[in-house]
Amino acid sequence: MLELRSVTKEFGRTVAVNDLSITCEECEFLVIFGPAGAGKTTSLRMIAGVLEPTRGEVYFRGQSLKGVPPEHRNMSMVFEYYALYSHLSVFENLAFPLKARRYPGDEIKRFVAQMAEILQISELLDRRPGFLSGGQRQRVALGRALIRDADVFLLDEPISHLDAKLRHQMRAELKAMCAEKDATVIHVTHDSREAMALSDRVAVINKGKLMQIGAPDEVFHRPANEFVAGFLGEPPMSFVDVEYAEDDGRAVFLITGTDARLPASLEVSASVRERGLPSSFRLGARATEVSAALSRNETHNVPGEAFVTETLGHRNILTAKLGKNLVQVVTPPELTIKVRDTVWLNLSQENLHVFADGLAVAHPRRQSN
Amino acid sequence: MQAKTFTMADLIRYTLVIAILIVFLFPIYWMVSTSFKPPPDILTRPPKWTFQPTLSNYVYAFEEANFALFLKNTLIVSVISSTIVIVLASLAAYSFARYNTGAGHLMFFFLTTRMMPGIAVIIPFFVIFKVIGGTAIGQALSLGLDRLGALVVCYTVFNLPFAIWLMHSFFQDIPRELEDSARLDGYSRLQVLWRVVLPLAVPGIAVTAIFTLIFSWNEFLFAFLLTRDVARTITVGVAGFWTQRGIMWGPLSAAATVCVVPMLVFALVLQRYIVRGLTFGAVRG
Repeated sequence: MLELRSVTKEFGRTVAVNDLSITCEECEFLVIFGPAGAGKTTSLRMIAGVLEPTRGEVYFRGQSLKGVPPEHRNMSMVFEYYALYSHLSVFENLAFPLKARRYPGDEIKRFVAQMAEILQISELLDRRPGFLSGGQRQRVALGRALIRDADVFLLDEPISHLDAKLRHQMRAELKAMCAEKDATVIHVTHDSREAMALSDRVAVINKGKLMQIGAPDEVFHRPANEFVAGFLGEPPMSFVDVEYAEDDGRAVFLITGTDARLPASLEVSASVRERGLPSSFRLGARATEVSAALSRNETHNVPGEAFVTETLGHRNILTAKLGKNLVQVVTPPELTIKVRDTVWLNLSQENLHVFADGLAVAHPRRQSN
Repeated sequence: MQAKTFTMADLIRYTLVIAILIVFLFPIYWMVSTSFKPPPDILTRPPKWTFQPTLSNYVYAFEEANFALFLKNTLIVSVISSTIVIVLASLAAYSFARYNTGAGHLMFFFLTTRMMPGIAVIIPFFVIFKVIGGTAIGQALSLGLDRLGALVVCYTVFNLPFAIWLMHSFFQDIPRELEDSARLDGYSRLQVLWRVVLPLAVPGIAVTAIFTLIFSWNEFLFAFLLTRDVARTITVGVAGFWTQRGIMWGPLSAAATVCVVPMLVFALVLQRYIVRGLTFGAVRG
């Protein structure tokens, strides 16, 4: 079990990681997910031991790693920009960690050949990294990290710089390889699909702080705050500014800038009674969870104006304007919508997330579908 | 093969290159040819382009003027001092580049020592070596006046700041991630330096080695004032052909030719590193 206990890292006056506590179980595939500059790589480097935390400590199997140099931590890392040794051949790069552990020569050869086979780089073993393509370098970097049985594998955006097709393929291969090794993996990425697809659990961080940690399903369907909701998933969640009102004792949301009103759920009114009225209420709509119609009906009863339509082939994405808010909705390709058309959206508490002052108050109830 | 068209621009370009080469290479040609000319043919006017080549100038330089000893001295002093400089400078430069030792001030301080002209310290150096030369340690390390050790120390002192500064930029170009990666692969700090950093810095080391070697090879001031007979070097030796009876052009050219050849061979051997080294930032993963 690997733990970050209230770890803080400052570079001068910049706080890169701020009081971060994360626990990674044995054999777990944990993804640290966040935007650029969130402190993901810094966290990983502190786990690896190439950076020392300013405050807080990293624990592994109950023991503090403070003062333990990286070469004694038995962790293996893939660096974002590969960090291949350009003066060594691919073979020597792959053999490098084995040599440090004084493996006998024939065993090194066997391991390298095996790894090269898996990564399909057998014919490149004599080349220098400078003569490889980006995808090939990536494979060598992965191979070098996975060639030995480390206690923890640290992967820093290992496939982010590949083109889309190769990335897709490597994602699956990576997952298979790690599953086979039964390894503890901490994987850093800014790609939400990668985070969802690979992880047992996702830790979402922003500005050096932990936003939410949980199974990908949970983080996706029950985001703890607006940041997590807006950052995870594609297309990103749309937010609608609303005002809270009580009408005949019934709680309603008034969409700012329109005269549409939605009944608010009991959870919301309970929260208001308990914590008082927040300074802002926002509704979050996932493009896949809401739908649009060209005419008003029982469920599609909030009017908006079609603003942009994007065609993706198997589906379209409509961006509708509600007052000042933009809401994205996935629509079937057979629904033809022209820009400036009036569209009717089925916004309701059944399919919306509610955020008060940025924190989640209620989630859609149908989350299991 | 496809016939390449030779344009007017090419013609001008090549003519220009050839003209420049003639201007630059002519003195060297003149030096080499003079070294093989019999004495009566050297100062003729107009110059003699064809002559009966002779080795008499070389024989004179080596047998009468003791030039073999000078060459040996220069070789020993240059190689030893350059080796010391490379070892010290690579460690120091690595420390400055990676750990920012001295927050930049220390390195700047080292560099400032290079800004002082040698002539300003020659008398203190003279006195220091005169005193040290009289002690037992000084004699054991060959540090006195007219001793090779004294020159080795001087050249090391004068080359070190420049070498540190030059290598510093090479070490800075080596991505830190490579070292982190090697640490995680299981190597200690020193092993990383030896197995990853130094091999990657080879172009920089080669360039630095050439500069320091050429400096020591060409040095005149210290060699002139700190040596007399035993430790005399080639530069002072060459100057010695300007005698009271006149300039001995033949032996002088022969000696100068011999001085140039080792540097030329050295530069050719290290050529590929020099080319790589001079295009800074050539180290990429």
